[in-house]
Amino acid sequence: MADEPEPPVAQQTVEEPLDLIRLSLDERIYVKMRSDRELRGRLHAYDQHLNMIMGDVEETVTTVEIDEETYEEIYKSTKRNIPMLFVRGDGVILVSPPMRTGT
Amino acid sequence: MSGQISEENTAYMPSPNIHSLSAPVLMSRKQTPSEFLKKIIGRPVVVKLNSGVDYRGVLACLDGYMNIALEQTEEYVNGQLKNKYGDAFIRGNNVLYISTTKRRG
Repeated sequence: MADEPEPPVAQQTVEEPLDLIRLSLDERIYVKMRSDRELRGRLHAYDQHLNMIMGDVEETVTTVEIDEETYEEIYKSTKRNIPMLFVRGDGVILVSPPMRTGT
Repeated sequence: MSGQISEENTAYMPSPNIHSLSAPVLMSRKQTPSEFLKKIIGRPVVVKLNSGVDYRGVLACLDGYMNIALEQTEEYVNGQLKNKYGDAFIRGNNVLYISTTKRRG
């Protein structure tokens, strides 16, 4: 067995999480951000800080109001559409392909 | 108590009696965090964020900033399952900890 090529002892070339985001370039993505914000749009560019350029974005801002009397939580969401957007990376929590929520 | 513990640096050694792991990643000798991170790739993990939100999934990869890529991710808020993501990338600055877990069937 002396002539067998040695397989790499470690696993295959490990991709970084940022490499996996690269696979989503030009695809629609879902971004969860701080301050209860969510974005759905097309990823045009990103960098190691997760600054992103997104196109055709729909932003959803979710707020919770608490009724003074009944103490029930009222969830409200506000949406707006933005044709082209620069996202500063430090606000980003999570990036994912968009969910098929069916709504 | 395991007799295998090295005498070198025992300033803080987590207990080796971690019975909750299905295939143990025992800290029975000095192990740097980066070694731990290499070992747990491919395992089901819990990622807790600073905001308190929990993500459970299979660890696809991670890097030195604790940026995380998870597969088959479930999002738990206040213990309640909120969302499911096929793939999820989590920005490392939000991560409080990464823990291995026995995946609940």
